[in-house]
Formats: sequence, structure tokens, C-alpha cells
Amino acid sequence: MDKPELIINGKRLDGRTPEQLRPIKITAGPIRNAAGSAYIEWGTNKILAAVYGPREALPKHTSDPDKAIIKCRYTMAPFSSLEEHGRPGMNRRAIEISKVTKEVFENVVLLDLFPGNEISIFVEVLQSDGGTRAAGITCAAVALAASGIPMRDIPYAVSVGKAGDTLILDMNKTEDNYSNADMPVAINPRTKEITLLQMDGELTPEQVRQGMAMIDKAGETITRIQREALRRPYEKVQEKYKASI
Amino acid sequence: MKRLVIPGEILADKPLRLDHTLVEDGKTCSTIIGLFDDQAGSFIPIEGLWYPQPGEKVVGIVDEARLNTDSINLNAPYKGLIISKFTEGNLVNGDIIEATVKDLDKTGTVVLVRPRPLYGGKVLAIKPSKVPRLLGKNDTMIKQIAEGTKSSISVGMNGLVWVKGGNSDLATDAILKIQEEAHVSGLTERIAKMVGASNQM
Amino acid sequence: MNISTITEQYVRERLTKGVREGGRGMFEFRNMTLEIGKMINAEGSAEINLGNTKVLVGVKLDVGEPMRDKPDEGSIMTGCELLPLAHHSYDAGPPSAESVELARVIDRGIRAANIIDLKKLFIEEGKSWNVFIDVYVLNYDGNLFDAGTTAAVAALSNARMPRYEDSKVIREGNLGKLEIANMATSCTFAKVAGTIVLDTDGNEEDFSEARLTVANDEKAVRAMQKGLGGSFTPKEVDKLVETAFEKSKDLRRIIKSSKVD
Repeated sequence: MDKPELIINGKRLDGRTPEQLRPIKITAGPIRNAAGSAYIEWGTNKILAAVYGPREALPKHTSDPDKAIIKCRYTMAPFSSLEEHGRPGMNRRAIEISKVTKEVFENVVLLDLFPGNEISIFVEVLQSDGGTRAAGITCAAVALAASGIPMRDIPYAVSVGKAGDTLILDMNKTEDNYSNADMPVAINPRTKEITLLQMDGELTPEQVRQGMAMIDKAGETITRIQREALRRPYEKVQEKYKASI
Repeated sequence: MKRLVIPGEILADKPLRLDHTLVEDGKTCSTIIGLFDDQAGSFIPIEGLWYPQPGEKVVGIVDEARLNTDSINLNAPYKGLIISKFTEGNLVNGDIIEATVKDLDKTGTVVLVRPRPLYGGKVLAIKPSKVPRLLGKNDTMIKQIAEGTKSSISVGMNGLVWVKGGNSDLATDAILKIQEEAHVSGLTERIAKMVGASNQM
Repeated sequence: MNISTITEQYVRERLTKGVREGGRGMFEFRNMTLEIGKMINAEGSAEINLGNTKVLVGVKLDVGEPMRDKPDEGSIMTGCELLPLAHHSYDAGPPSAESVELARVIDRGIRAANIIDLKKLFIEEGKSWNVFIDVYVLNYDGNLFDAGTTAAVAALSNARMPRYEDSKVIREGNLGKLEIANMATSCTFAKVAGTIVLDTDGNEEDFSEARLTVANDEKAVRAMQKGLGGSFTPKEVDKLVETAFEKSKDLRRIIKSSKVD
């Protein structure tokens, strides 16, 4: 198939400018059994995240007597892609994403407070359209904050790619297929610490710098949406009774 | 002036000594969702876990009753332990008890003393951060619910609440309502209306 | 919560008096909502909330080889995932006997009722449509059988039919609907601390001794499955089959009214 032009007259295939994010909606609390949960629609991605714990780390050999451990499981539903029916369970890509996602949360959760315990984070991609690892992290961060487990910050994630020689933010699946670079990044917004950084393709050092700047700017929008999702359930109750805090 | 804060939010540009906060680079930030009052200098958790303190009352379920010790499920990331050879009576798996926290040791075990069995009824799990609101000042809120519904209620600081008898369904609804609305003013009146009304029926 | 929140004594006392949580009747379903077609990458989807039980079913169609023993038919494959995020006791890993039983029972009702005419899924020699039904349990609070069956039938009833042209599967554009020949529903009953009820919630299931799922369409019983270690008398089975027929009218109505034209 011929490679399509990803940018025509400054507009991308879906009408976005190079620096524009897809629309994002986050709702906290859809999974009642979980300690914390959240659901995100990011473009046409639809992803659920849920947190269980802190609870005893089992099997015992996985536990750490000095601090809690984080277990993370990222999987995609067999009906999540527009292509063929997928296989349930985890493939190698999912295993890697689970690991790098876990490492994002190891950085922010106050693990010392719960020795011998585990905190399990589940990310289920119900519908995918590019950027699922970033959307999964952004969603899981809200689930974790909603659970009451103490954290030093609420991370967000987004990726940058290239259309020809133009950097584009937040690629959808088609753009990802034809881009010659993909750099997902997760950041702690308060301190700007980078806790996930992967890259594949071709970027000059200047493009890496520019990409980081684009991500930082997008972070303002993404973190605002995360904050709103966390506050909304409480504000709803206040509105119901026209009461104050 | 109270405001809702979330993890990572900066509360002050100087170190404050408050539970559920941490200090990084000289700034104090929240670690959980809570209500911060910068004038009063207070922080009330809205979503937060239970951190056991000596002397606290808990409600638990016997997980494993053994000869010398009993393991108690407290629905928390700590193992409850009773040294049963020092207590009267024999506990059996599945028994509901209330007990007092003696201390929390380094391995995450909460040592419990003075177990008192609770017979029948059911146990609700509510968020530990809502327990203070459920009890009210000098236990006024919980007493109001117990009297209004004629139920026996035992509230554990670990978030487990035992309810038995009377209009236990109404008591359950009232307890869950407090969990929903703990952060909103006027709750005392709404609960009074909810349980007080049943008296007049 | 990771412990039983009620004692057997509590359940037994209430059920013998005919009292259930939320004032529900003994043979009454919890509040049920169905949302169709939200997962647009799937050919069909339905999300059901039955009380606090939440199940998402996705339907995908692929072209593949027919089964060797049925060379002129398409196929249906039903899978079920008890996602670890749905309940604290659910582990990741190979399918448990529970999830396999669930998938097979849901599949049986759909297959025996001939909801899809498998012969119509045949394309040409060596090629037919394979229908994949994935039951994704998102939050467990009892009665996954009825939640799963209802959502699966609703997802099938509103699925797109892809086209097969020039050896390629066309999944977008102007597509017709998957042809549905029938509709089936299921009712699952359980003996809880001695009393038989319909649509157990999570707490009631903790104290269930025996369980009976009856799947039927307007005419006939299509599938049944008895579960757990207890038993039913012939008279009880008779009554439950009758009750299932009665209750299935409402279920069919709910699925029909969720159809998007």
C-alpha cells in the first residue's frame, strides 16, 4: 500500500495540527470492586484501569520485607483492534508494556509504607487506536490516586512521532504505522521527572528536545483532565445538595 | 478556607508537619485526595488508608484460629494477630470480633488484644478515611443511627462496621450515605432526617 | 472487600423470611442496563450492568478454514475472561474451570438456539466466517451466566457483517448486519442457605449450595447447566424451568428494545 501523506497543508489525516492532542475524557470509579479505578477515552482508544491493594504479596517469594511491590498487567481485549480477532492474554509486547508501566508507578507510590504487600495495577485496552501505553498510564494514574494509596505525584504519558520531518504529537494507529519515529514519555508533572522513556526510529538530538517540549506543553492539558476526573465525584455530591465542603 | 487537594499538589512553599503529606525541595505536597485548610493548618483525608494506632478499636473476622494465636482478617494490608492463650474463650474461623490494637510491628502485623465476639449480623467495609465522620464528635453520629434504627453497631477504625438487628437495612443505607457525602456540609441534618423519621413510623 | 461480608446465619434468616438486599423479590432480576455498540472496532459489542455485575461482550468475525467435520459451515467460538480487575480473588493466568464453564454454557445456549445459521456463514470451499464471542467480566457481583448470555445475545443481535472481497475482509464502510435467526436468554437460579432465588448477587453466591442455569427461547429449553455440589429435586427443576420461561419474556424484551437499527 502506498504510504499516505500524513500532513497536508499543515493538517493531519484527522484534521489535527502537529501539536494537537486527540480529545481525552476520563471517569473515575467504574469498577466497584477495585480499590481505585478509572476509564479513559483518548481519541478512539477506550481503556480501563483498576488498582487492588495494598494486599499481601503472594506468592511469598515475590514479596519484599522492606517495601511494597508493584505488579502491573497490561492486556488488550481480543476485540480491541479493527483488524482480526486477537488472542486473549499477554503477548511479548504486552509483557514489555506491563514492565515499563510498573516502573512509572514504582517511582511515585510511597512503597515504604507497606512492606510485604503488593499493589496490583491492571490496564485493559478495550478498543485501540495508537498510543495505548500512554493512555493506559494516564488512566492508571487516576485509578491509583482514587484508591487512597499515597503517591508523590500523578504521572501522565503521551508520545511524539514524525510525519516526514515534522514532529507530531499523540499519533493514532495509522500515523504510528507510517511514522519513522515513536517516542513515548511519562512524566511526573510537579517535578518534570521522566519515568518512562522509549524511542524507536530516527530523531536528531534537536528533535528529541523539541519533542520533549511538545510533551511538556501537552502535559498541561492532560494533567488538567486527570485532576478534573478526580474531583468530579466529590463536586457532584456537593452540587446535589448545593452544599459546600 | 478548605479546599480539595489531590496527590502531588503543593500545599505550602515551606515544610508543614501534617499527616498524609510529604516535603520535597522544601515544599509540602499532598500524597492523597484530601481537604486542606491553609488557615487552620489541617489536612483531612477523603481517600486514604488505615494506619493502625495503639488503642484503636477494630472489627475483624477470624481467618485462622490456632492453639496459641489467631489470625484476624482486618481488610487492610496488615495481618491481625491475637495471642489467644492469654484470652478467654475459643475463637472459631469465621467469627466476627471487635478488638483493640496493641501495636503494629515492623513486619506489618497488628497485635490485637481483648477480643470480644459479635454474634450474627453482617459486616460492611467502608473506607477508613470516612470512619471519623461516621462516628461524629463524641460518637454522636453513630449513636444517632443506632438509636434511630434500633440496631447494634460496632465501628472499627479499620473501616469494618458490624451491624445487627433493628432496621439494619436503613442503618446500612445511612452508613453508606455518610461514606458518599462525608466531605459535604449538612450531613448531620440529612442523616437525622433519614433515621429519625423511622422513629415516627 | 476480601472477606465474606455477611454470615450464613444472616442470609438464612432473611431468605427464609423472603427478604433480600434492597427489598428484591425472590425471583426478581436486579436492575439491568444494556449498552450496545460502544466498541466500534469490534463487529458487535454490548455492555451489561446487572446490579453491580458488569460484563462487556465483544464480537469479531474473521475468515478462516471451516472445521474439518463441518466443511460447509462457519463456526462460533465463545471465550470468557474473568479479568483480575473484576474481583480481588481473580488471578491472571490460564483460564480457570469457572471461566471455561461460563464460556461453554453461554456458548451452548446460543448454539442450541441456532441464533446464527452456521450454514449461512459458509463462503466458498475452504473458507467460512468464524464468529468470536468474547465475554469480558469487568466487575463481579454474582450471576455471570445471565449477564454474559444477555450481553452476548445483544451483541450478536446488533453486529455488523463484514464483507469478503478479493480475498480481503472489509470491515468498514457500508456494511449490513449479521443475520440473526433466533433469540435466547438464560435465567440462573441458586439454592442459597436452603432457599431458591433468581439472580444471586456476590454475597448470596458465597452461600449458594446448588445452581441451575436454564437457557431458552420462546419455544423450548435450549441449554441447562447445574453447578456446585448441592442438588435439586425433579419438582424444583420443573418449577425453575417454568419460571425461566416466564422471566425470559422480559429478557427478550430488554434485548429487543436495545437493538439499534
